[in-house]
This record gives sequence, C-alpha cells and structure tokens, in this order.
Amino acid sequence: MSFINFATKEINCKIVYYGPGLSGKTVNIKWIYEHVRPENRGELVTLATETERTLFFDFVPIEISNVKGFKVRFHLYTTPGQIIYQASRKLILKGVDGIVFVADSQEERHDANLDTLDDMIENLKDYKMDIEKIPLVIQYNKRDLPNALPVDILRRDLNRWNRPDFEAIAIKGVGVLETFKEITKQVLRKLKE
Amino acid sequence: MLNITPEEDRELRKLLTELAKESKSKIVILIDKSGQLISRSESPAFSSDDITFASLTAGNVAASEALSKLLGDKDLNHMFTETEEEGIYMILLDGKYILVVIFDKDSSNLGIIRVKIKRFYPKVKELIERIEERTEKETTVSSDINVEEIDLDSLFE
Ligand SMILES: Nc1nc2c(ncn2[C@@H]2O[C@H](COP(=O)(O)OP(=O)(O)O)[C@@H](O)[C@H]2O)c(=O)[nH]1
Ligand SMILES: [Mg+2]
Repeated sequence: MSFINFATKEINCKIVYYGPGLSGKTVNIKWIYEHVRPENRGELVTLATETERTLFFDFVPIEISNVKGFKVRFHLYTTPGQIIYQASRKLILKGVDGIVFVADSQEERHDANLDTLDDMIENLKDYKMDIEKIPLVIQYNKRDLPNALPVDILRRDLNRWNRPDFEAIAIKGVGVLETFKEITKQVLRKLKE
Repeated sequence: MLNITPEEDRELRKLLTELAKESKSKIVILIDKSGQLISRSESPAFSSDDITFASLTAGNVAASEALSKLLGDKDLNHMFTETEEEGIYMILLDGKYILVVIFDKDSSNLGIIRVKIKRFYPKVKELIERIEERTEKETTVSSDINVEEIDLDSLFE
C-alpha cells in the first residue's frame, strides 16, 4: 500500500521481486543496494538460511529526495523461491504497489517460472488485486547462460499481458537498473491515477 | 493508498507520544501490515532504523498470524517479544495496522503497557479510521507530486 505523509513530505511504495528459487531476485536488489549512493539507501536486511537461500525475505529501502520537496521511498522486497515457502511469498505480497517478476531463462527452469507465475496470480487474486492493473515488469535473467531459452518463448509464456520486459544478467548488473527504473516509473504513475 | 495531512500527523504523533509517556516506554510506533511506518512517538532516545524496524515487525506479525491460522484459524491480536533489556509489545489495530510499544524492562512492564494501551487504543483507532475515510474520498490528492520530475539517475553513482 502506498503511503503519503504530507507532514514529513514522504511517499512510500512497496515493490516486490517475485520469481522461482535462484532466479536472481536477491542479486537484483543487492546490485541496486551496492550502486545507490549511501545517502539514498537504508539498511539491507536479508533473512536467509546458512546457505544464502532466502528464508523469508530480503528488504532494502531506497530513497530519492527533492521531488518538489517530497522524498520518495521505495521499499524493495524479494520473496523466497522454493515451493515450500508458498505461504511466505503470499505474506510478502501484502500491500504491494508494483511487482518485478524475475524469470530464470534456463530451459530446465522454465516449468518453475510457470508454476511461480501461477502462484503469484493466485496470491494476487486472494488479495483482490488484478494482475492486469498492477504495475508489473518481467525480467528474463541469466541471459549469459548457454541453456537460456530464446526470449520469444519466454515472452510468449510469461508476459501474457504485454507488459514492459527486459533481458538481464543480474550478476553483472545488466538490465537491473532498467528493470528498477521501469517499475518505479509505473508505480509513481499509478499514484497519480 | 493512505495519506496523512500535517494536521493528522500532529494528532497521531501526539497520541502516540502520550501513550509512550504514560506507559513509561521508549517509543510507540504505528505501522501498517504491509510494513510501512505510519507514525511514531517523539522519542529521541530510540536510535534504531525505523524503516527497517517497521518492515521486520510487519514480517514478524504476518508470520505469527499465519502460524496461528495454521493452528486452528484463530485470529492473532497481540504479540510479545523480549530481548535481554527490552520488551516489545505489538497489538493489531483494525486488522490492518500494528501498534508497537518498546519499553525498557527496568522502567516499565507488560501489565502497565497493556492497561495504557487499552485506554489509547480506541483513540488511535478512531483517528486512523478518520484518516482512511478522508483519503478514500479524495481523488486529486497527489496532483502536486510531479512524477516526471523524479530523476532516478541521480540515485546512482
Ligand atoms: N550465470 C548467472 N548466474 C546468475 C545470474 N543472476 C543470478 N545468478 C546466480 O544465481 C544464483 C541465485 O541467485 P539469487 O539472487 O540468490 O536467487 P533468488 O533465489 O532469486 O534470490 C546465485 O548463485 C547467483 O550468483 C545471472 O544473470 N547469470
Ligand atoms: Mg533470494
């Protein structure tokens, strides 16, 4: 849920990076965290297992000031990908203002992409949110790997709503910023509706 | 969406600050269940990162709520966590918000906190409902926020 405080002149929005396990969600927000000026970011929190798999969520707030004296704060979250964390994924979607769906381009992960997308649509329905109306960006990550499916196929199967999409190599930062900029733009535009 | 006017912000802070004082706690924070910090008492002594605190608290409450559902679909209405020195009491407000009270175990205790919350709860609830109602009626609230002016490039080095 976006929240505007006219006293402190703050706008707060929640953006969730959703996708199958190991698709690169945590790498996306870590890259953003590491490349944002220190004064524009809060603490990066990762609730992970000892093997660095996301257990509950990662979180980092990113702030931009001087928008007509307003400060915009984007709360970035990632979800845990593994099937068993279905319940946690749903909790994190609560009050979401925009979603980045991070798909794993590898052929053998395509079923996981599809299952996770279905799971996301169901969760949104439970929150009475319509996937056609919510700000959404699809990212096809891991384009550097030899077993990556052609983008056409990924797009056909995952981007059924013709939303903005980007190819990415998140470990090198390729496409990360473009994705982030697009989702923030959509979220801010939605605020004005 | 929710928005708060300067006047409402003052009222809310005043209530939370009074509650903090009367309950002898360090700070009182109001957050929404999606993890946004809505308001807090004037408590200079509290130095932790509010934004992160709000996000983790919402996650914590959400997980506990899911747990209690799993155990038989009972509604969770409050939670208590403690560290060596501090107590953290969380109570759900209207099913949508979480009122969090953090106190030093040396200067207050759960009994006092709960008695004081009982008194303040209806006031906070009434105020937040009033804010929600006003927000809902408004349509042009964000007209003075110009999206095009936001320069995302300035974020990065
Ligand atoms: N080759 C390659 N590996 C990646 C890419 N993005 C992420 N990874 C790797 O994939 C693994 C899982 O990434 P992580 O962000 O933890 O996945 P999450 O489960 O979606 O949070 C890590 O070992 C990353 O280094 C990419 O673009 N290319
Ligand atoms: Mg992760």
